[in-house]
Amino acid sequence: MLATVALLLIVNAPAQAQTRAETLRYVTGASVNTLDPNIPGSTRESFALSMSTYDRLVAFGRKQLNGKWVFDLDKITGELAESYDVSPDGLKLTFHLRKDAKFQDGSPVTAEDVKWSLDRCVTAPILGKAQLLTGSLTSADQFKVIDPLTIEVTLPKPDKLALPNLATVYPMIINSKLAKQHATADDPWATAWLKENTAGSGAYVIETFKPGEQAIIKRNEAWNRGSPDKPAFFKRVIIQSVPEPATRANLVERGDADLVVDLQASDVQSLEAKGKLKVISTPQYNSITFVSMNNQIPPFDNPNVRRAIAFALPYDDMFKAALFGRGAPLFGASWPDGKPLNGIYPFQQPVKLDLDKAREYLKAAGLPEGFSTTFSFNVGQASTAEPMAALVKESLGKIGIKVDIQKLPDAQMSTQINEKKLPFFTEGIVAWLPSTDYFYRNFYTGNQRWNYSSINNPDLAAIAQEARFEPDKAKYEEDGRKLNAMHADLMPQIMLWQPNQDAVMAPSVEGYTYEFHRQVDYRDVSRK
Amino acid sequence: MMTGLGATMMRAGRRLLSSLPALFGVLVFTFLLMRVLPGDPAVFFASGPNAGKEEIEQIRKQMGLDQSVPEQLVFYLSDIGQGNLGRSMMTGQPVLKDLRERLPASLELTFTALLMALIAAVPLGVVAALRPGSLVDHGVRLFCALGVCVPTFVSGLLLIYVFYYLLGLAPDPTGRIDVFTSLPPSRTGFLSIDFLLAGDFEGWWAAFKQLILPAVSMALFVIAPLARITRASMLVSLGSDFVRTARSVGLSWRKVVVTYALRNAILPVITIAGIVFSTMLGANVLVEKVFSWPGVASYALDALLSSDYAPVQGFVLLMASLFVLVNLVVDICYGIADPRVSIG
Repeated sequence: MLATVALLLIVNAPAQAQTRAETLRYVTGASVNTLDPNIPGSTRESFALSMSTYDRLVAFGRKQLNGKWVFDLDKITGELAESYDVSPDGLKLTFHLRKDAKFQDGSPVTAEDVKWSLDRCVTAPILGKAQLLTGSLTSADQFKVIDPLTIEVTLPKPDKLALPNLATVYPMIINSKLAKQHATADDPWATAWLKENTAGSGAYVIETFKPGEQAIIKRNEAWNRGSPDKPAFFKRVIIQSVPEPATRANLVERGDADLVVDLQASDVQSLEAKGKLKVISTPQYNSITFVSMNNQIPPFDNPNVRRAIAFALPYDDMFKAALFGRGAPLFGASWPDGKPLNGIYPFQQPVKLDLDKAREYLKAAGLPEGFSTTFSFNVGQASTAEPMAALVKESLGKIGIKVDIQKLPDAQMSTQINEKKLPFFTEGIVAWLPSTDYFYRNFYTGNQRWNYSSINNPDLAAIAQEARFEPDKAKYEEDGRKLNAMHADLMPQIMLWQPNQDAVMAPSVEGYTYEFHRQVDYRDVSRK
Repeated sequence: MMTGLGATMMRAGRRLLSSLPALFGVLVFTFLLMRVLPGDPAVFFASGPNAGKEEIEQIRKQMGLDQSVPEQLVFYLSDIGQGNLGRSMMTGQPVLKDLRERLPASLELTFTALLMALIAAVPLGVVAALRPGSLVDHGVRLFCALGVCVPTFVSGLLLIYVFYYLLGLAPDPTGRIDVFTSLPPSRTGFLSIDFLLAGDFEGWWAAFKQLILPAVSMALFVIAPLARITRASMLVSLGSDFVRTARSVGLSWRKVVVTYALRNAILPVITIAGIVFSTMLGANVLVEKVFSWPGVASYALDALLSSDYAPVQGFVLLMASLFVLVNLVVDICYGIADPRVSIG
């Protein structure tokens, strides 16, 4: 017995050294907290993990943006579906499943499993419900099994976002036979079991999962959804939580970690300058950092006050101090005829630091002497928001606006935003499916948390709603221009920039792609 | 001797019982404090890109926050009575399981650090006390001052920079064990003990290497109070009548200093060590963060920032219980160091 163990140890030792090249060690400040991304409270790392452990019907393609690979919202390819048809009226989506697709326990993927999974997503009290709603997918009646390999999705309206929604994190395809064995009367959709177990067909199988510490996944050799006849590249992926950003930077610089996407901007800059590692910086083109003003709280209910603020922010200094200039600025544009350049949101706003103009606007608002207010940000964003807040305070002081800086714990900040109690603050948003109407509908309408500026403008809401189902591209563009013009005029909140996603990796790592969930898709990467 | 031991145990048991009301008070107090703090955990955790009112309500229900505070308290107390500390939203696991997995990590680190600190501090204190005002005394004072001045995360980051980043001597500072090493069967949860029990010395060495840097950065911080109290107490002891008598009858230097002076001087050191231990366990959060150590303190801090009630309450309860236990152990150690002291 002992001899066997000893022998195993000897045999194992060199094998382990070899597999290092076939192992991806990814370090992150966050952690995976559930194996089912649908569970309320699940983290972004959990989203990323589920992309590798589960398949969806379809997936986003990728495209090059300024020489970097990013996900492509307009190119939807099959994942578990071999192909799909959209009916001419846009109301029926038919998916033909792959014949060779198997779950990780070896059973075939059938249309029944797909139906159960999609039903679960729109019926169970889970996160998928609110997401699929944005693609007009709301009821189990919309999913129909035609034959064991064909499933049909019916839409009430030709919704452009229905198909992309099926490629997002939540509508993953679950092995329904396995999951049903663990369902209970109280929990018919097996949410409790799926939180701790996976029942998917994805590229990777969970090897160990320690919430808050690490997850290790190993390759599913039978998976071939990425490139034909080939499984994912890495045999093992280690996803490890390292809370201290400086330590993460050391690890990747020393070559002990292969890939990290959440370093501090200052560390990224110094690593890039040293030139030993590969740094891929992609502006997060589906996310925006704002300075928001609550349009319902005086004095910010006056558009002139908001315009005054927009011309009193020291944009360039803020951009440098907060992000070391690592991102895409959304300020400083010039609109020759005063009209938006196009109908795409987010857009570069025609604002820059101009204190005289700001003073004029303040005068027009009847507040030539200025006023006092608070500027809030959350502790979690302190590294970027703190230097920014100091600059805002200094600059607004020059036009008589006295600012108190308020640093709030994350939970407290989200509560106050939800209750619409903060007058003036900085926050960010992200949209998985970044289209102009989606942004305006979700972030500029309704009395809900994501409408940071609490703007309540019926015209804006109506145009955004109309654009949602507009099939004509030219008309959609026209709607977008109208919305952007309103945004620039009303200035409900000020778009600052789109921060970079700085992926720092060993020179041998290839294929990194910026994904909609802003994490690494482990199936994308390989080693040279 | 047996009856002496039995009596001590009896008294220890009574002591433990009498601490129950205090624990109960801590329980209720933390429970109320968490609910008074601004910040709604449901809103925080419902932060998926599309989470709206419905999700918030659902999480609130899941966390039991839709009930009134007194009702919640009753449920909470009855859960505690059944040994259920609730579930963490952050890790998605039962709090008891999280704490059980993480406490050994924190204890292992704290014990090692305390041991290192004692081994360094007591001789330093003694040496300083033997030659008060000398160069050695000033040297010790300077060392202690430096140790206290540098916050643990700074010394931690410095140690990482030198020993891992520059010299490459230390393993990567990511937790208790190198990710490529396989773990021993968990018996005690203390990796250094589990590896020994499994007879895996290579693994033991790997785990021990991971432990050195975090333990040193913690030890540096607590050497000062221990060394200072040793010095002060030794000075008193060295100046007392019995030491003068011992010297005058010509006992060896070793016997005078170690047996008579130090044994008499050690009581306050034990007291301080007990206090230091309890503080270290809760306050080593920075070290745990810097070294990605999966301990209870960093767990509680993360929970607090996200208003995750159950883990914070569980952590405070755990700390209070440990404090009671440590005090008891300190009292028992008194009895060993000085038979005249008895606990009651």
